[in-house]
Amino acid sequence: MTEDFDSTNIEDFEAKDTARKLPIGWLILFWGLILWGIYYFVMYSPSISGWTQEKAYHESVKK
Amino acid sequence: MAGELYRRPIMFAVVATVVILIGTIVTMFFPMFTEGMHPRLENLKPYTALQLAGKDIYMREGCNNCHTQTVRPLRTEVMRYGEYSKAGEFAFDRPFLWGSKRTGPDLARIGGKYPDAWHYKHFENPQAFFAQSNMPKYGWLQSGKLDPAAMEAHMKVNGFPYTQEEMADLPSKTELDALVAYMQVIGTGVKKAVPVTVAAMAEEKNPLAGDPNAHERGEKVYEKECEACHGDDGRGGIGPRLTDDIWLNKEGDISDGRIYEIIANGTANGMPPYAGQLDKDKIWSLVSYIRHEQHKTK
Amino acid sequence: MNDYQYDHQTVKGFIVSSIFWGVVGILIGLWISVQMWKPEFNVPPFFTFGRLRVVHTNSLAFGLGIGAIFGISYYIAMRLTKRPLVFPKLARFHLYLFNAAIALAALSLFAGMNQTLEYAELEWPLDIGVVILWVIFAVNIFGTIIKRKDEQMYISLWYIIATVIAVAVLYIVNNLAVPASLTKSYSLFAGVNSANVQWWYGHNAVGFVFTTPILAMFYYFLPKSTGLPIYSHRLSIIAFWSLVFAYLWTGAHHLVYTPLPDWIQTLAIVFTLFLIAPSWGSVINGYYTVGTDWNKMQTHYLTKFFILGITFYGLQTVQGPTQAIRVVSQLIHYTDWVPGHVHMGTMGWVTMTTAASIYYIIPKIYGTEIYSIKAANVHFWLVLIGQLMFSITMWITGIQQGALWKATNADGSLKYTFMEGLVKNYPFWQLRTVAGVIFTVGMLFFIYNISMTIRKGKALAASRA
Repeated sequence: MTEDFDSTNIEDFEAKDTARKLPIGWLILFWGLILWGIYYFVMYSPSISGWTQEKAYHESVKK
Repeated sequence: MAGELYRRPIMFAVVATVVILIGTIVTMFFPMFTEGMHPRLENLKPYTALQLAGKDIYMREGCNNCHTQTVRPLRTEVMRYGEYSKAGEFAFDRPFLWGSKRTGPDLARIGGKYPDAWHYKHFENPQAFFAQSNMPKYGWLQSGKLDPAAMEAHMKVNGFPYTQEEMADLPSKTELDALVAYMQVIGTGVKKAVPVTVAAMAEEKNPLAGDPNAHERGEKVYEKECEACHGDDGRGGIGPRLTDDIWLNKEGDISDGRIYEIIANGTANGMPPYAGQLDKDKIWSLVSYIRHEQHKTK
Repeated sequence: MNDYQYDHQTVKGFIVSSIFWGVVGILIGLWISVQMWKPEFNVPPFFTFGRLRVVHTNSLAFGLGIGAIFGISYYIAMRLTKRPLVFPKLARFHLYLFNAAIALAALSLFAGMNQTLEYAELEWPLDIGVVILWVIFAVNIFGTIIKRKDEQMYISLWYIIATVIAVAVLYIVNNLAVPASLTKSYSLFAGVNSANVQWWYGHNAVGFVFTTPILAMFYYFLPKSTGLPIYSHRLSIIAFWSLVFAYLWTGAHHLVYTPLPDWIQTLAIVFTLFLIAPSWGSVINGYYTVGTDWNKMQTHYLTKFFILGITFYGLQTVQGPTQAIRVVSQLIHYTDWVPGHVHMGTMGWVTMTTAASIYYIIPKIYGTEIYSIKAANVHFWLVLIGQLMFSITMWITGIQQGALWKATNADGSLKYTFMEGLVKNYPFWQLRTVAGVIFTVGMLFFIYNISMTIRKGKALAASRA
């Protein structure tokens, strides 16, 4: 039984498996991380938000 | 169809290469041609032959496995190590030596922090300074010789200027000399900033003056932080003797507040500043301890 | 048929060699773990921490890791293309050259010939040797795939192809240097730029040595050893392409809060977080595959190796991205947290999956069964316990270090000197050595089991002859 899977039947097996839908939880993770990435990039890019690590440092010292 | 791709290995390899190269080009290749990646501080000097030999030894011994050379712009980190690292400081490092792990302390601001004698003694026996240090001993570097021919080749590859006298001088130096010379130049391209500067307080009185136990607490701090340089009970060593009038009278009638200032801010002669590492109470207790020892010797 | 046999000898040669270098690397790992709390264990000039640590990382990453990857990839490629390697003699030469290179690498690192680029320490003559090794591998793999009998390329082959391409680009670029002598060179890149190149390389060495080839093994041997086909082919496709796309952007997360331009750091952090998705694509695929029949965890002893392996991969690929975020990096960067993280990946995911693949291959090559399933189970539990204990103690140490370095008194001064912080690590570092010993004993069970299986197979072959 264990030996049944081999590259011989890869094509059948691909046809079968491609029909499977992607898990919804995983899709949420996938798109969620892209959205978060856009947010983070906007927040921490000097040319967009003006944030720089040096400015952040000088502000933390002023306190 | 897309399925075709998985039947054609060459096509697949080409597509995979393109996919891999996109991030490579944007984050690694393209920045290479921007000015931000090749900054150089104005007063940054190329390494001398001796310093470069020291840096080679630093690399050979894998010092970067335990020590970083970059101070992050974070408040407590700047207090502990000094001014945060600037991009322009590393123009002559091929490659950078920032490291990735601080088993030992960061070394980005070690240059000029201690006198040479401190480094020699510390390399020979780190445990003499910090009994529980896990740093290996490096006194054996003293028997290592420097090879002027090799160093000339190293200087040429780096494009650093050198003189023949400099090369002729190398055989008289040891590997340890070179390493110490390198230690002393690290991070000196940036103007030295005292991590925490204590304002003039020569007039201040020791708030612990009436506390009979203050000198005992001070002794404990002393043994940990000061003894390695100033010797047993302040008798002197790498640093001056603390209990005689020579040191105390140098600047006239030295006050408690003035001693506090020296401990906190350090001096130009090699005494490092301690304001970032010791709180007020500890420094005042040290003042009490020094006074106590001084009276004992008198 | 004869050719095929011949190639299997090469596969076996790589596996045995990789185990040998693994032993060397693990023993040195134990040694340096003791040096961390007992400096007397430093024996200059050749055996100080600074030199031994790179021998440890190189012999495990390149000796154990890449040795096993070469051998197992050859095996997988032959199976999936249904033909012997195109150049079997070249593969044999590959094996000899590999061992010569690793031996010279170890010796040169003991001698202190170190470029100080992490995971690219070897000096330029050895770099050339390494490139030749990969070219031979690439020629054989591509040649075999192009001349394959089967039309479709299975997922494992995609990952192997991606590995070859990425390693070639990464290794060559990062090692560009100007030689000053046979044993010393200076990087072509300087300062901030060299840092950016190095960590683009350094992180992708993790991606294309500790991830993609191991996923190739996972996708092949999990179905093989359980008889269950991979759950979703579509998920495999999306996970593959998004993984190889995103990985190359992430190197600068090793340089958070350094003088590297902010935008490169930010971009690296964003893509690092995104990597959770493709990584977990493979994790979920693995879980759902076995999820169709969880009994396999009990009935097939290798299943648990693969499932625990992919679980650690899953944990690793959440922890890693978390570390990249600035606020977390502030606390744990430069501390022992990081070795804790690395060792979950290497001891948990890579070694677990590789060992299971070897358990599968060796009996197959010799036409016999594994010597002892019981010993394999003991191996499993010991390395699991050893690895967890290692990582957890290091995480605690790391958080503690980070917190002590940041702690301030009421008047704003620092609360702890560096030494006061260091001293608090000692008990944890001692525990870590204990964890390493447990892991090592587990690996000894593995080695014993494999060598007894080989002996059994040889006796069997002799009796047949």
